[in-house]
Amino acid sequence: MQISKKVVILGHFGVGKTSLIRRFVENSFTDNYTVSIGVHITKKVVEITADKSVSLILWDLEGTDDLNHVRESYLLGTHGIIYVFDVSRPTTFQEIQQDLAVLENKAPLIPIKVVGNKIDLVIAEEVIEILGNNNISYDFLTSAKTGGKVNDLFEQLAKMLALDAE
Amino acid sequence: MNENDKIQILKDILFEDESAYIEKITHRLEELESSLNDKQKFSSRVDPIIVYQLDEFKRSIPATLGPTITAAIKTEIGKNQDAVVDALFPILGKMIKKYVAQEIQKLSEKINQHLSFRDKISSWFGKSNEKQAIIEGLVAAHIEQVLLIDKKTGLLKASYSNAQTIDEEMISGMLTAIKSFVEDAFGQKNQSLELIDYELYQIHLQSFKNYFIAVVVSGTYTIHTKDRLQDLIFDFYEDFTKKEEYKLLSTDRINQKLTQNFEHANL
Repeated sequence: MQISKKVVILGHFGVGKTSLIRRFVENSFTDNYTVSIGVHITKKVVEITADKSVSLILWDLEGTDDLNHVRESYLLGTHGIIYVFDVSRPTTFQEIQQDLAVLENKAPLIPIKVVGNKIDLVIAEEVIEILGNNNISYDFLTSAKTGGKVNDLFEQLAKMLALDAE
Repeated sequence: MNENDKIQILKDILFEDESAYIEKITHRLEELESSLNDKQKFSSRVDPIIVYQLDEFKRSIPATLGPTITAAIKTEIGKNQDAVVDALFPILGKMIKKYVAQEIQKLSEKINQHLSFRDKISSWFGKSNEKQAIIEGLVAAHIEQVLLIDKKTGLLKASYSNAQTIDEEMISGMLTAIKSFVEDAFGQKNQSLELIDYELYQIHLQSFKNYFIAVVVSGTYTIHTKDRLQDLIFDFYEDFTKKEEYKLLSTDRINQKLTQNFEHANL
């Protein structure tokens, strides 16, 4: 049995949303990327068990510094949200609490995975300390470049959505 | 003759009238009991009364229950406007389309009446009709793909396709995004994107409350094509919304229904 779920990926400009998806969907990475515009839709089927899979329809929204400007119609009916920030650029996570509050307001009760990307560019221990000191909780620290934790992120989300559907 | 016999004779003389009366009542009661126990007899007596009462009830409905029913309907429509629109749209759509088609037919007939005799003669004997028929055949519209898409999520509910295309789930998502973008951009409520023109293909979009249907058409997309397409879509959607079974049906079954409706449809 296969179920389909809509997942929206958003965050500030240049945090690596599109690269994360490319790494997961096509299992390849390119440094030669351009900032995504509007929305780009891709799909990946994640096998949960031998007879059960989840088709993740990934809505990669354009980067924005103000989540209030995110088109609400793109969030309509979404089953999950991935909020991505860049661990090497504090400006992308300084206002994370406000950003998450906006998301919770625009898409109430929708599970949100908070992801710090580009962990390959920094010393992980230092970033974890900085995030801890600023009370920033996250679900995954990923690297679209090396592939670190990328599959784990999407697979965990897929499993969670499959459980929700039961 | 003993005492008892004498008393009996005396009783018979004294109560003659009463006896006859009792006998008569007994007979009536037996008849009544018989007609009550006999369904057919009872029915023949009671049915006319019931029919009369029902007729009276029907006649009195507008006056007695009318205002209550009207108020209840108004309240329900007010509460569930979207659902009412969704249910009525295919039906009203068909009615409006029929009316418009009739008016256009009338207009067409009037134009024909005003065509010159020479035009008519050349049309009868000339080759223009033949050429026109060949050209029309070559560029006739064909349904390539039909997608039933959840309006909010953009997830594909069911589809019919006569050729291999790229992933239908991704197409559904992109169409939903494009539709949302255009509708947001113009900020017009109650208006929706109806057609996407893509080189040799046209994508006709028909919106309903919970779903929209995207039909990919190759060939020439004319007003007539749109008209015919809407008929097909309304027929399918009316059935789809009416039958609760669709909600329980598997995607494969709905795909089959879409195929039945659109595979051999002439546009």
